[in-house]
Amino acid sequence: MALRDRILAYFLAATILLFLLFSILANGLAAAIEGFWRLQSSPARLLSDFTALQGTSAALLNAAVVGILGWLFVRVNGIKLSGPTIAAIFTMIGFALFGKTPLNCIPIMAGVSLSALIVKKRPREYLLIGMFGTALGPLVSFVAFEMGLAPALALPVSLAVGLAVGIVLPPLAIAMLHLHQGYNLYNVGLTAGFIGLFAASLPNAGGKSIASFSSWGTAATPWLFLLIPVLSLIAIGMSFICCGKKSWNEFLSIVKLPGRLPSDFCELSGLGGALLNVGILGLAYSAYVAIVGAPFNGPVIGGLMTLMGFGFFGKHPKNVFPIFLGLLAAALFFCKPLNESWVILAFIFGTALAPIAGEFGPAIGILAGFLHLVLVERSGTWHGGMNLYNNGFAGGLTATLIVSVIEWYKTSTER
Amino acid sequence: MKRREFLVHLISELSSFLLQEQPRKMVISLHQEEDGIHLAVIDDRARSDGEIKAIEQALNTARRPELAGYYGQMAGHDLLGSARLNLVGWQIKHADVLRNPGGGVMLNLWIGGESFEYAKFSIDPEDEVKK
Repeated sequence: MALRDRILAYFLAATILLFLLFSILANGLAAAIEGFWRLQSSPARLLSDFTALQGTSAALLNAAVVGILGWLFVRVNGIKLSGPTIAAIFTMIGFALFGKTPLNCIPIMAGVSLSALIVKKRPREYLLIGMFGTALGPLVSFVAFEMGLAPALALPVSLAVGLAVGIVLPPLAIAMLHLHQGYNLYNVGLTAGFIGLFAASLPNAGGKSIASFSSWGTAATPWLFLLIPVLSLIAIGMSFICCGKKSWNEFLSIVKLPGRLPSDFCELSGLGGALLNVGILGLAYSAYVAIVGAPFNGPVIGGLMTLMGFGFFGKHPKNVFPIFLGLLAAALFFCKPLNESWVILAFIFGTALAPIAGEFGPAIGILAGFLHLVLVERSGTWHGGMNLYNNGFAGGLTATLIVSVIEWYKTSTER
Repeated sequence: MKRREFLVHLISELSSFLLQEQPRKMVISLHQEEDGIHLAVIDDRARSDGEIKAIEQALNTARRPELAGYYGQMAGHDLLGSARLNLVGWQIKHADVLRNPGGGVMLNLWIGGESFEYAKFSIDPEDEVKK
C-alpha cells in the first residue's frame, strides 16, 4: 500500500474510532446498541435528528457503522481511498446522524451496482453514485415503516423500492451533471431531489398525504460539541506529520484551484495540503456554528462532516467564503435568524456551490450564495423530505441557473 | 457508451483544450483498428517544457474507474470553464506529447482494451513528426 493510501486509511480509521469512542463515552455501550437498533426502524426523512430521537450514543454508533459500510463498499469494489471516496464516506457518516442507516443504505447501493451490471459496466464505475445515492435512504425507511404496510410486505417492498431507485440513479446523475457542468458539488443531491419529486407525488396520488416531520436536537452535549474540532485537529496534525512544511505549500496551491467536479485535491496538490484544508474548514465552520449559537446536533455535525469530506474534493476557504458572504447577505436582507435550523444548514451545505466562486469569481459566488438561501427554504417540501441532500438539490438548481446564463453570455459574446 | 460517441467526446475535450490557446492551425487524425484506436491532435502553438510535461501528466493520470464512469462523462460535453485533460486521461490506455519541429505539439492518444499494445500500433508518432 502506498504511503498516501496508508495515511488516508489511518485518517478514516481515526474518524470512525473517534465516533465509536464518543458513542461509548456519551451514554455507554448498552444505550448505544439499544438506540442503534431502534434507529433502524425510525423515520429518516428530513429533518430527523437521530441525536434527539435516540440519543447521542446511538446516533454516533449508527454513523460509525454506516462509515464502515461505506469503506467496505469501496474495498469490495477494489477502489483505493482518495479525495472523492473519502468525501463520499464522510458524507455517509455525517448523514447517518440524521437519516441514513445501514438498513436504508444497502438497497440503494445494491441497486446502483445492479444498474452498472445491466449496462455491462463494472459496479466500481458507479461506486460514487452508489455511495452518494444513499441520500434517498429515507424513501426506503418511509416505505418500510411509515406507509402502514403489513410487516410481511413492508421489508420486501422497501427493498424493491431501494433497488429500483438505485437502478435509475446513474443515468439521472450523469444527466444532472450536464445541467450544472460540475459546478454543484452535490450532484447526487440534485438527482435525488429530482427522483424525490416523483417519489413524494406517488403517495399523494394514492390519496396518502406525507406528514412533515421535524426533530431538531437542542441539548448541549460536550461530545457532540467536541467531535468536529477534535477531528479537525487530527487532520491538521496528520498533515504535518505526514508531509511536514510541504503541507502549507500544497494548501496554498489548493486555494488556487476552482474546485469544479471532479477535483481530487489529494491528486492535484498533495495529501498534506488536503488534510490541512480539511482541518481548517472544520475549525472555521465549527467556530461559526458556536458564534451564532446554533446547536451541535446531528444535522449540524452531519453538515460539518460533509464540509470536511469535500475539503478533499472541491471546497477550500477561498471558494467557500464568497458563498458564505452571499448566504449571510440573504439571511440579513430577509431577516432570517442565523441559528435557525434550515438557515444554519444552508450556511454549511450551501458551500456545494463553491466551484462557482472558484471559477467565475467572488461576485458570482456571492450571488450564488444569495440565491441558494432564497430557494432552499422552499425546496425541502417539494420532495417531502425524502432527499436528505436538500441543499444539494437547491444548489443544483441555483448552479444550473447561473451556469446557463454565463454559458449563454460567453458563447454569444466571445469571438 | 458507443465508440462513436466516446470518440466525439474525446476529440471535443482535446480540441477545446488546444483551442483555448488560440492556435492558427489544428489537425485531428484518427486511425481505428478492431482492438484499438490512435488519435492524434496537432496544433502550432509554442509551449514550454513545463506546459508539455503538465499535459503529459494530465493525460497519463492513474486509472480512476470510479471517476471515469461518472465524472468522465463530462469530457467533451461540459465545456464552460477550463478544459480538463484528466477527464480524458482516465479513459485512455496511454498518451504521449511530442513537440513539433515547426512549434506546437502533437498529442498522441491510444485507446484500447487490456490486450491492446499501443507500442505495436501501425502509426509511429515519431515517424509522423519526421514526415
